[in-house]
Amino acid sequence: MQQLLNGIFIGSIYALFAIGFTLVFGILDRLNLAHPAVFAASAFVGIELVERGGLSLWAALPIVFVFGAVLGLLIERLAFRPLKGRADAHFAGLISSIALAGMLIALLQWRYGPDTRRFPAGSFPDTRFEVAGAQVTLVQVVILAVSLALMVGLTYMVTRTRLGRGMRAVAENPTAARVLGVNVDRITAVTFAISSALGAVAGVLFAINVNTAQLGMGSAIELKGLAVIIVGGMGSLPGALIGGLVLGLAEVFAVQYIGSSWRDVIAFGLLFLILLVRPQGLLGARRVREV
Amino acid sequence: MSDPLLRVEDLRVSYGRVEAVRRVSFQADRGSLVTLVGANGAGKSSVINAVSGMLRPAGGRITFEGRDVTRTPAHQLVGRGLVQVPEGRQILATLTIEENLQMGAWHTGGTAQRSIDAVYDRFPVLAQRRALPAGSLSGGEQQMLAIARALVAAPTVMLMDEPSMGLAPKIVDEVFRVIEEIRASGTTVVLVEQNARRALRAADHGYVLQSGEIVHSGPADQLLADERIVQAYLGVETRPDQR
Repeated sequence: MQQLLNGIFIGSIYALFAIGFTLVFGILDRLNLAHPAVFAASAFVGIELVERGGLSLWAALPIVFVFGAVLGLLIERLAFRPLKGRADAHFAGLISSIALAGMLIALLQWRYGPDTRRFPAGSFPDTRFEVAGAQVTLVQVVILAVSLALMVGLTYMVTRTRLGRGMRAVAENPTAARVLGVNVDRITAVTFAISSALGAVAGVLFAINVNTAQLGMGSAIELKGLAVIIVGGMGSLPGALIGGLVLGLAEVFAVQYIGSSWRDVIAFGLLFLILLVRPQGLLGARRVREV
Repeated sequence: MSDPLLRVEDLRVSYGRVEAVRRVSFQADRGSLVTLVGANGAGKSSVINAVSGMLRPAGGRITFEGRDVTRTPAHQLVGRGLVQVPEGRQILATLTIEENLQMGAWHTGGTAQRSIDAVYDRFPVLAQRRALPAGSLSGGEQQMLAIARALVAAPTVMLMDEPSMGLAPKIVDEVFRVIEEIRASGTTVVLVEQNARRALRAADHGYVLQSGEIVHSGPADQLLADERIVQAYLGVETRPDQR
């Protein structure tokens, strides 16, 4: 039971990170490899807000959300928009976003140094609950609640609101969207902002969960995020949620029952297995695009 | 006589070094139906895409309601009343029919439920299936949806690019009936068509395009009556509408 809960907590953070990834991919058909750097940067910024700003953990979250959104706008402007007219825009964007990620991490190292950073002592409330014989901290409950609320909110936004309708129109057919009066550049920028805001909150939640922020944390989660969105079905929001939870649970149970060095073998092995059975991913549909 | 609602002067459109449209001029008076006809590749779609702001002209001037809109992007023109029904319909197949219509009202910032209800009255087929993905409609129904979606945008000028393309003769009749209704309701229509006879029969004024240039223009009935023009540009009558 304890392991099940732990798996869900970590899985919900993976899912939140992956959903930001898959949002940009699903709507804009671009892979933003600066997303992991946003994840790492936000963890450091979150810690600084608590340490220097004297904010509580929870007050730091909305600020980090906004910080992530601004970073997203910058990433779009610097790494993607200048390349959008090129025939190889997909590949070029991939490379330029990796380059931007490298710059972001270098800036982090300059600002915070190479060492692991932690939240100041006493930042975490001690409240604990007992759920079916397992120990759960208030912090973990909040992590889960925030991740779920953001994912539900995002899904509602995409499926029910005017902005979401515009995003889906751009996803299906940017030319048609333009004919209808949609400013595709603006939708693109907003999509990056939302995606990065989610990745930023995931970064802080991750740092809170393990009380650590490291320069390498972005690259550590990058592969997991990519695996999650491939397994969930590229571009599928609920797919990323399920994929994240599956990965989190697989990791926790692998450590518990087989040994920590087997964690990645089991987790990624399971993902390969899923892809063997469903190559399009759990909830991936073969894309229908009008020719 | 007041200025025309839409005036295009010396329009040029290039794709790289290829000039697709060379010094094309035409105009549309308020409430009229004007058609640009010509063979495939004559530059008709390039003209209409330049007018709607989807393409950046290489030269020339486009004036709409007395204002220069030559370099105004498409997303601003829709809000001003210059609305395009694009070639190939370009409906959003994964969105529902209702969502497609709501997209027509994008520029209003709302969903324009009243305009949508009005187009449902006009196209009952769409009303019945409003919650279905637009991709489930037949070709003819998709064309009606594309027109309906443009109507939701409350156009002053409707630019229609090949609305009869790929449709069965019976559906083509229906499309042209709708076009004439739209025109009768006071909306100015600029119609681009390969189906030249059909378009000229509906139009007040026609322009014949060939290799990116206007080679003939005049009142539509005169163009149709001119045997030389009919022979040279409009091809052999296949009379799909004579049953």
